[in-house]
Amino acid sequence: MKEEGRCGVCFVFVLCEPCIVSPFKRVFLKGEKGRDKKAQEKTTERRALHTFSLSLPDHRIDPDILLNDYIEKEVKYLGQLTSVPGYLNPSSRTEVLQLIDNARKSHQLAGQLTSEQDAVVSLSAYNVKLVWRDGEDIILRVPIHDIAAVSYIRDDSLHLVVLKTAQEAGVSPCPSTCPDLSKSMTLGSLSESGAVLVEVCCLLVLAVDNKAAAEELCLLLSQVFQIVYTESTIDFLDRAIFDGATTPTRHLSLYSDDSSSKVDVKEAFEAEASTFSFQGSLEAGDNSPSPSSTPASPQTKTASEGELSTTATELLQDYMTTLRTKLSSHEIQQFATLLHEYRNGASIHEFCINLRQLYGDSRKFLLLGLRPFIPEKDSQHFENFLETIGVKDGRGIITDSFGRYRRTASSASDSTTNGNGAVRGDGDVGGSDERLAPSEGDEWDRMISDISNDIEALGVSMDQEGVTP
Amino acid sequence: MTMEEMKNEAETTSMVSMTLYAVMYPVFNEVKSFSSLAGSEVRSLFGQAEKENPGLTQDIIMKILEKKKVEVNFTESLLRMAADDVEEYMIDRSEQEFQDLNDKARALKHILSKIPDEINDRVRFLQTIKDIASAIKELLDTVNTVFRKYQYQNRRALEHQKKEFVKYSKSFSDTLKTYFKDGKAINVFVSANRLIHQTNLILQTFKTVA
Repeated sequence: MKEEGRCGVCFVFVLCEPCIVSPFKRVFLKGEKGRDKKAQEKTTERRALHTFSLSLPDHRIDPDILLNDYIEKEVKYLGQLTSVPGYLNPSSRTEVLQLIDNARKSHQLAGQLTSEQDAVVSLSAYNVKLVWRDGEDIILRVPIHDIAAVSYIRDDSLHLVVLKTAQEAGVSPCPSTCPDLSKSMTLGSLSESGAVLVEVCCLLVLAVDNKAAAEELCLLLSQVFQIVYTESTIDFLDRAIFDGATTPTRHLSLYSDDSSSKVDVKEAFEAEASTFSFQGSLEAGDNSPSPSSTPASPQTKTASEGELSTTATELLQDYMTTLRTKLSSHEIQQFATLLHEYRNGASIHEFCINLRQLYGDSRKFLLLGLRPFIPEKDSQHFENFLETIGVKDGRGIITDSFGRYRRTASSASDSTTNGNGAVRGDGDVGGSDERLAPSEGDEWDRMISDISNDIEALGVSMDQEGVTP
Repeated sequence: MTMEEMKNEAETTSMVSMTLYAVMYPVFNEVKSFSSLAGSEVRSLFGQAEKENPGLTQDIIMKILEKKKVEVNFTESLLRMAADDVEEYMIDRSEQEFQDLNDKARALKHILSKIPDEINDRVRFLQTIKDIASAIKELLDTVNTVFRKYQYQNRRALEHQKKEFVKYSKSFSDTLKTYFKDGKAINVFVSANRLIHQTNLILQTFKTVA
């Protein structure tokens, strides 16, 4: 039997089995047959994808899978185009294909599709992750909020799925599609010369086997967007309500100049704090001590319900409720530890940084709820910190993406300067012209201690109940 | 007016009476255009009857619809009609803060009344929710501004009303969360109606106390 290898070498094969195999065969094992064998070996070695059956016709997936799990699909990764003008219309087949064609000609994108482009796209409510099919090396990861659009383009037998995403450096004077501008020009000189600066984006170009696969991928991404932006929108609503409700007109202990009402507020606040802690203890079935005050008497509670300001009760109850729903028991205890450290002398800066780390990006709005509890001396730093992380006045991802709320907020809240020259927004707690007298500072100390104790008790009671978020 | 009286007033002007001012007041205004006396009289009579028997107007409307075999989603229709200004609830003080209060309340009611038109398109509905969020925040900010600027003896009554408004705002948010799971729009309409009613009560409270 004689077989010509595709490399053109002619060699003698085994005449009958089992006979001695020609060494040339082992050395010159090339050609299509060899490639096929390698590809076959590769396929059999590849792991199964983490996937789920989807309800037709709209490929519905259980939202919990996207929130708490992920789904994988096989694609071919052609490449990523950067510095694409942001005004690119992702719905325009002509525009997108023109870019892709140019990129393929200049070898920025893969020309021929082979198994070398095989990749796996992993979708969840947090990001789109691309890894090579073989070896699983990560290619890139795009957070969902960085994805502007997803397009499906059928170009003859090619089924392209193109993701328009944000680019790290958002503005470029010299997009790759505008070669006329001299690359030696600096940003400044370009501005001075009147050149137009354009926002740029990236195009992530994938190919799939067929129309059905492309539609499936697009619909999955659509569901991801729905989940993420629905959740974010509701969070935005909650933050707006919380912020509007938790912006007291004055310092909590200064609702009225009438000293008797100050005392009422103090008693009522104690009553609410102790009641909450008492209830927490009952649920836990333990004997964890309530804070310094005793459980409220019915008369005090009844009297205080009417007298307590909206904000004091709302703040405490809301913040406790929010902590329960947003943090795990371990995280609540961590929060309590941080609060305790802050109360015992840790700097406001450290407190803010640690809290930010604890909450992460998705829960950073929880920091807003702490606003009324930050003493006057630290409130300016706290407000500045909120602004740097983009949660002041309820800002966050949604407001950055859509912008509208930011404009509304800035039009509604004119900055005022306090006595120290620092700028603060409208409605902030503890205005400069309402500095605490020492006795009122003590009042704050005690209230913060009460809250710390309550939060610690909350963490303990959740542990004992075995509650997990 | 004491806080107790305010509470009673609010309870009397309960949610069921929304039909009176949202549905019937525009009708009485039309009657008024023909006969001022008749319009005023029938408005007064209905008001009195509703006060004595909360929900009476709604029952009458439902019976009329039933009799005429008109198939209409009453809650949805009420929501669409609830954006109009109600004279009784508008604050007639000229100071900017009070005019802002009127404006912000009107803006919020207007957006809420658009929910039936937007709820079936997810993208548009999410934008509507963001608009509602902004409107709620603006209204509360304006309330806080009035608190800061003006000293009221009956401040607690105002704070109570603000607290109620916040409570119903949160309830609206919770209803939306449930809606995105179960798809039952009617609950969103009910919650939106309640929020509109609370918005009117805030205006009424400020009108009475200020």
